Amino acid sequence: METLGFLMDGFAVALTPYNLMFALFGAFVGTLIGCLPGLGPANGVAILIPLAFTLGLPPETAMILLTAVYAGAMYGGRISSILLNIPGDEPAMMTCLDGYPMAQKGRAADALAVSAIASFAGGLIGTIGLIMLAPVLAKFALTFGPAEYFALFLLAFATLGGITGKNPMKTVVAATLGIMISTVGIDISTGTQRYTFGVLELYEGIDFILAIVGLFAISELLFFVESRMGRGRDKMNVGKLTLTMKELMMTIPTQLRGGVLGFISGVLPGAGASLGSFISYTLEKQVVGKKGKFGEGDIRGVVAPEAGNNGASSGALVPMLTLGVPGSGTTAVLLAMLISLNITPGPLMFTQNADIVWGVIAALLIGNVLLLVLNIPLVGFFVKLLSVPPMYLLPIVTMVAFVGIYSISHSTFDLYFMVAFGVAGYFLRKLEIPLVPIILGLLLGPEMEKNLGHALVLSDGDWSVLWASPLAMGLWIVAGLGLILPYLVGPLLRRRMNAAMKESPVSD
Amino acid sequence: MTSFGDRILGLGLLVLAVAYGWAAQQWPEPFGGAETVGPETFPTMLAVVLVAGSLYLMIKPDPDAQWPVGKSAVELLISLVVLVVYTLLLEPLGFVIATTLAVGTLSWRMGAAPRPAFLTGLLSAVVVFVLFNYGLSLSLPAGLLEVH
Repeated sequence: METLGFLMDGFAVALTPYNLMFALFGAFVGTLIGCLPGLGPANGVAILIPLAFTLGLPPETAMILLTAVYAGAMYGGRISSILLNIPGDEPAMMTCLDGYPMAQKGRAADALAVSAIASFAGGLIGTIGLIMLAPVLAKFALTFGPAEYFALFLLAFATLGGITGKNPMKTVVAATLGIMISTVGIDISTGTQRYTFGVLELYEGIDFILAIVGLFAISELLFFVESRMGRGRDKMNVGKLTLTMKELMMTIPTQLRGGVLGFISGVLPGAGASLGSFISYTLEKQVVGKKGKFGEGDIRGVVAPEAGNNGASSGALVPMLTLGVPGSGTTAVLLAMLISLNITPGPLMFTQNADIVWGVIAALLIGNVLLLVLNIPLVGFFVKLLSVPPMYLLPIVTMVAFVGIYSISHSTFDLYFMVAFGVAGYFLRKLEIPLVPIILGLLLGPEMEKNLGHALVLSDGDWSVLWASPLAMGLWIVAGLGLILPYLVGPLLRRRMNAAMKESPVSD
Repeated sequence: MTSFGDRILGLGLLVLAVAYGWAAQQWPEPFGGAETVGPETFPTMLAVVLVAGSLYLMIKPDPDAQWPVGKSAVELLISLVVLVVYTLLLEPLGFVIATTLAVGTLSWRMGAAPRPAFLTGLLSAVVVFVLFNYGLSLSLPAGLLEVH
């Protein structure tokens, strides 16, 4: 029951009016980010980091703000799935299948309401799972030595592409590029200048925040410019709420199943929120069997994936908080915030920065309640925002990104650097090199090198120490599987996901 | 289906990896003699991994993406120029003027009519400027509009 005590302390942190205000603000902004076209969750959180930084927020407040944004974005993604048949973010893809048909039948309001409730249930289940699992895992992680950490980082990279990833080799290339960028600057242990070319601004290394903002925000702008999707969409009519209590009660088992499945796939390396919502949907279809009208606007077809992806988003915080190894783009960006707050993520955080960890977890619970409260009455407002044309929105977002980066250092050198990263991001995305491993490489590179050094010093230069312990060996094996499995299972799973998308009668 | 994209990328990465790995071997030995893990150990490992990755890309490239040609490419170039010029003019012209021009031009190029585009630019510039300078007391450059 130690955990409960910590959680209470966490609530004490999260419930101060100051932090509560930022949680509310974050939840609101997060929903906006989730539903606006061209602003993914990772992108949105990335743009907010420099702002949180320059505002001089205390670490727990900054983390609460960003976690609330993260949770909010998962809520927001469903809105355009349901109304427009266009997923606001990738995990919301499965919500299109039954959400859009429901909207076409004039039940858009019901679909939005029930998906908000399902998101809440998923988020709640996921957070409870996080509360139970995280301390246990953190305790276990204390037994990790440098060799185990080195293997763990490899595992994180290897599984980042996910089982459904297309080309694992491109993930490897991307991660290596990221780590290479992180080696620029003065070597911490020896003081050797590496790849600085005598440029003063490079001595301290490349700030990963500007790299992240450049890679995400600027490349997104360029993509929109290229695809010329600047025009807005037509205004939507949501209609009246006709959801009955009976219908809602009927979906409770679905919510539970979806939330639990989502949480599990969030925790596991290589699965993630998209797979979480896919598995929840598929399982639901099998459990309900022929009685359901999946694909034609079955209410459970909306509930299952939404509960799944919100459960997964809480689950994804488990490896990030306990091991310092994020499994998704957005959690990687959250990790960037932690590192720039000078907090070493990992098991020690649970003892050294208990107020932050538990404050964040409590904020996640509070945030879910806030989001439910926000989402039901304000849905009309969010729907209006969907029709804001990207041609106005994206330039403004880009400008905010510029302001954020500029306000950190007040140097235009950083801005040029950010634009350069944006151009690089555009080309890499065009070549289907994933950006998230690059960012993870930037973040974890220094830690990886440090752990490699420690391990080899401890073993007196014997390289076999890296896979000597059974635990390290296990991590290496899973990492290897993470690279091989996508070749074996990936095509099959991807085909199934695509098939599910095509089965829906309304695919335009 | 052609697959030049990956091949060119692979070639570029190969050059990068070799240069990166070679540069790592040139560093002077750190003070106090060589250890098992010097500053060059980790970069050397990375270079090897990247060489392998780039070779793979060249041998088994994915099919090419649709690259922008003609008008799209020009629009992309314009956007890029706008971003660079914005950075260049941010301090001399001041935030409000530079932002109005940058956001306005971008919106206009993305398909908005010029008047609403520049109005959006002006409005967002003023709102952000006021919010930052007075609300959050972070100073953005006032430039030409500075009151002496």
